[in-house]
Amino acid sequence: MAQQDAGALNILITGATDGLGLRLAKFYAERGNFVLATGRQSITDDEAFFGTDRIRYIVADQDNPNAAAETIRLSMTRLGWKSLDLAVLNAATGWSGAPGDEPSATVEKQIAVNLTAPILIARAVAPFLFEAEGQLTLIGSTAHRGAPMFATYAATKAGLHGFARSLAEEWRGRARVQIIHPGPTRTTMHAKAGMKIGMARLFFMGPKRAARAILKSIRSGEKTRTITRAYAWRALFSPSGRGSL
Amino acid sequence: MKVLITGASHGLGRALTEKLLAEGHDVFAVDRDTDALDALAVKSRGACKPILADMALGQSVERLMREIAGHTFDLVILNAGISATGKFEEIPAAAYQRLIAVNLTAPITIASRLIGENMLVAKSKLVFISSLSHAVGYPGASVYAATKDALAVYARSIRKPLAKKRVGVLTVFPGPIRTQHAERHAPAGAKASKRMSPDILARHILKATRTRKKELYPGTQAAFTKLLAGIAPNFMTKMMRRVIFEKLDDNVY
Repeated sequence: MAQQDAGALNILITGATDGLGLRLAKFYAERGNFVLATGRQSITDDEAFFGTDRIRYIVADQDNPNAAAETIRLSMTRLGWKSLDLAVLNAATGWSGAPGDEPSATVEKQIAVNLTAPILIARAVAPFLFEAEGQLTLIGSTAHRGAPMFATYAATKAGLHGFARSLAEEWRGRARVQIIHPGPTRTTMHAKAGMKIGMARLFFMGPKRAARAILKSIRSGEKTRTITRAYAWRALFSPSGRGSL
Repeated sequence: MKVLITGASHGLGRALTEKLLAEGHDVFAVDRDTDALDALAVKSRGACKPILADMALGQSVERLMREIAGHTFDLVILNAGISATGKFEEIPAAAYQRLIAVNLTAPITIASRLIGENMLVAKSKLVFISSLSHAVGYPGASVYAATKDALAVYARSIRKPLAKKRVGVLTVFPGPIRTQHAERHAPAGAKASKRMSPDILARHILKATRTRKKELYPGTQAAFTKLLAGIAPNFMTKMMRRVIFEKLDDNVY
């Protein structure tokens, strides 16, 4: 990665090979920031994959939360990062079906990837965030209020919500903690969770618009935000500066 | 009535187990410390069946499921829980993994297996023990709060699908309880007399299981706190920081 430019921020984004995470990573890199991106797949040529030399990619499989957190911490140290301005913990996995049909392995996997991993990653990057008085942004879901057909997924997102709420208060004055709940978005998430969406897909938010809305919310630093259509619409008209969130 | 209860040896679980046995029910009492249940098993002439299982371990939960295979239950209380209090970033990762395994992975796994294997009969009740922190947040125990919020929402999510099988779901949101567990995690100088006795809480819970109640904030203190949190949630979380987090001297996990 290039030398540190004045004003450029250090940003961590998990689950950045696809969907919203990929869009956020590219957005920040295009504006001159340095991005550490994580995912499960192995990528041989970071620059060709992301189309920029400002994104460094590492494999961090959140199925093993402890290993993922350690890998991220080590990578930041190797990159020479002393501080972290923004961590967007976005990686997640889902499973859809009746509660009684949910295999125990799937329950475990969702809790590991969606809840334990972000918690352990937050813990690992805490000193870096404090250094920059940075921001921890957790990506939740509007399902966090409960959903009969993906009960465990909803539970993990409710866990993130509660975690953010208490940690925001605990870290007050040292680092900001934020949780953003996007609604259904046209990404590969649902297909991966084994859901057949059909025509409902027409009512889902486009990923570009959802990403813009998330960016706006991150910029505001607000503690909690649900991405509604009205909010996403307003986000289209909000400015975004270079070298800043 | 046939009952399954986890975390049965101490605290609230113990009080529930003793009450249920006194009422003449058969209780499958699960704990990682079953020695504490031996006397109860003898005294109850076998009505209390201790089962050794550590909710932190996946294989142990699997063994529990094998041991109770073929049984059906009228009442299941997923009560086992632990905590971790102190400065979030100073508590070891392993303590958080254990906390999430016991408070979240185990109850969800057990619940989904009981449902999938038709071990909950019609008119039975599935009880989850969440926490009053669901209403007010818990700075100084953000991961504990996360597990209890997650559990509450899991319970809410499965309520409708279970209603079709005529199985009721009750979620309990107790405030501080007068147990050794609470003693360890409370800030220095906190008064034990202000905590609810496990016996009284057990009575509240068992009474609620006989009604159609979905959520129980037991006692006036919990009900009042929930009311205030509904009006001013952010203020209440700030208060929790002041009365708990700022007074915690040690990390306890």
